[in-house]
Amino acid sequence: MCLAIPGKILKIKGQIAKVDFNGIQKEINITMVNAKIGDYIMVHAGFAIEKMDLDRVKDIQNYLNT
Amino acid sequence: MKTEIKKLLKSIQIKAQKIGRPLRLMELCGTHSQTIAQNGIKSLMPDNIRLVSGPGCPVCVTAQKDIDIMVGLALAGIPVAVYGDAVQVPGNLMSLEEAGRKGAEVYIVYDITEAVKIAQKKPQLVFFGLGFETTTGMTAWAIKQGLMVYSAHKLFPPAMKALLANKKIKVDGFIDPGHVSVIIGVDVYCQFPIPQVVAGFEGKDVLIAIEKLLTQILNKERKVENAYQRLVKKEGNLKAQKLIQEVFKVADADWRGLGKIKKSGLKIRSKYQQQDAEVVHKKLIQKIKKEIKIKPSACQCGLVLQGLVEAKQCPLFGRSCTPDNPQGACMVSVEGSCNVEFRYVQNNK
Amino acid sequence: MSRITNKLRSLLLEKMEKNKTIELEAGAGGKKSNDLISQIKKNLMFQSRWKNTDDDGATFTIGKEHLTFTADAFIVDPLFFPGGDIGKIAICGTINDLSVMGARPIGIALSLVIEEGFPEKDLQKIIQSIGKISKATGVPIVTGDTKVTEKGKIDKLEITTAGVGIAKKIIQNNGARVGDVVVASGNLGEHAVALLAKRFNYQSKIKSDCRPLILELQAVGKYLTSCKDPTRGGSAAVLNEIAEKSKIKILLEEERLPFAKEVVALSELLGIDKFSFPSEGRFVATTPQKYASKVIKILQKYNSEAKIIGTVQKGKGVYLKTSLGGTKIIDVPQGKLIPRIC
Repeated sequence: MCLAIPGKILKIKGQIAKVDFNGIQKEINITMVNAKIGDYIMVHAGFAIEKMDLDRVKDIQNYLNT
Repeated sequence: MKTEIKKLLKSIQIKAQKIGRPLRLMELCGTHSQTIAQNGIKSLMPDNIRLVSGPGCPVCVTAQKDIDIMVGLALAGIPVAVYGDAVQVPGNLMSLEEAGRKGAEVYIVYDITEAVKIAQKKPQLVFFGLGFETTTGMTAWAIKQGLMVYSAHKLFPPAMKALLANKKIKVDGFIDPGHVSVIIGVDVYCQFPIPQVVAGFEGKDVLIAIEKLLTQILNKERKVENAYQRLVKKEGNLKAQKLIQEVFKVADADWRGLGKIKKSGLKIRSKYQQQDAEVVHKKLIQKIKKEIKIKPSACQCGLVLQGLVEAKQCPLFGRSCTPDNPQGACMVSVEGSCNVEFRYVQNNK
Repeated sequence: MSRITNKLRSLLLEKMEKNKTIELEAGAGGKKSNDLISQIKKNLMFQSRWKNTDDDGATFTIGKEHLTFTADAFIVDPLFFPGGDIGKIAICGTINDLSVMGARPIGIALSLVIEEGFPEKDLQKIIQSIGKISKATGVPIVTGDTKVTEKGKIDKLEITTAGVGIAKKIIQNNGARVGDVVVASGNLGEHAVALLAKRFNYQSKIKSDCRPLILELQAVGKYLTSCKDPTRGGSAAVLNEIAEKSKIKILLEEERLPFAKEVVALSELLGIDKFSFPSEGRFVATTPQKYASKVIKILQKYNSEAKIIGTVQKGKGVYLKTSLGGTKIIDVPQGKLIPRIC
């Protein structure tokens, strides 16, 4: 289950962050993560569920290249 | 096609050939089923690999009884809010969408904060809390904001346990859910003696997971691999776990198809009983349960969900049950096994 | 409590009687819409000198030319959205229905039903946008009607337009042939995204793609074997219609899809298939391979995103060749667009 889309945090005000998803922006609740401006977060139904580990994004590429 | 994908597919071909025997790999999560359908991955698999869908569509596993109670509450004049996914699922009486057409106040929300906003004007509003660990955190948050909830939330690992306990189910490996694992972490899967890979939701994530499962099967290994490390931490999301823990307690739950599974659901703790629709509307819910009779149905969603029966083997499939007039949840969801099967059959007639 | 129980019981009975009512999905351009239309047609007489090929309008042959006639009703929520308003859609919709049939629109009838209490300022704004398109395209509003209803009888404003055009050659939906290529006149789905973003509180720079399609269709019409504007039901619905009526299969290629990144993003965010997103100023068409580059070259003068998106093959249905190399069915949307979280 669970559609979730990664987006980039543009602004934070309390528990609400303005997040950009490839040109579409929305206010997202970030209660459940420790995130700062510039972080990429995975968002499900209006809430951030985890921060993306950008170093690990490369892992998948490395795996594909081996 | 990119060369890396070609290499991956080649490797899957070679490994499947080496293994030789027919294999059944189960994607547990409905969103993985969706990735598989969207990328046409089934059409890329070697002949001896079958991808079967597991019970990971929260809408599909929601018990008829829970739909009935929500419909009953709505018809009794209580405003209800629900995620769009569940609005068309038929209950014994009708779906929430039909209840809306009959004049009940049914709000489709995309995000629980919308329900919190509606509740400010309509404090009686009951939110239909459904979903696995991924979605439970937000419900917990909303309950703390004062939203009233009917909880049909479920835990994922007990369903895996129930699947494995059923000896009729033959599965050679699991693709573990990505976003459930974001919350609960990876260690919890180690109790299951079967090859498993936690995967992300891009097409190549799923191909990588399949390739890793084949490697395990070939080497006769049974371990849990995390192929979604860019998001899934070993221990999961502790903040979310704490929030869920604070608001919910573990309880037995009814699953469509799998029946009652011990300690597989989440109910609201008594500390928040004023936000618990089951407590607030206890009498009304008892009445509804008595009033709405269980309609005998030949719908085999339950067996389909366990991978025991193929969609087209269900006697209703394509006859009284179609995407336009679904009899069961597997036909409702666009990527539900029955719905997908129906569309393939129709186009290839 | 007994009152409630009685209500439940009566609903049960009603359910058993199967009183059929019109469902909202029947207006969404999918399968249920087709069922409703065939139900309606059953009781109407269609034989006459008019030809109706299930395209967007009917035709009447006079000498070597074809008179083309179409009508369309418009309800839009919200009435004003980024890139347009209900007035602009109402005139463009009818102009485009005529244009995709290969006709040059020559006159429009405009009918308004206004709810009591509707702001006059808003009405003027809407009429001005109709006037602006009419002037720019040279298609006059030649007649019309205006009604005002009591408050609550309708939702703010409903517009119906009908239009007449003249065509030398009618482009039908059943003309696609094996070996043709499929073209899109620009990026698709931006009208839906502009509206959905507003409805679900997203911010984006995407504007509705609502615009008249006269000039480009006049320029390329003669090369096309089929053509449709993907309004209700989006590109999924119209491509399936072309495939079904032409008795061919359409194969799209994921790497050539005509969607802006914002359209893809919102589709993923709301869990709604991007192929079901409507456009109000685009068309998809088929053309023989030999004209393909010419058609694209002309179309790119009007919209730089115009491109070939797939091919016509033997078979049936609409399929997508994914970037992983698999194939996926692009099906007719089932009903209204409901956002999902799973």
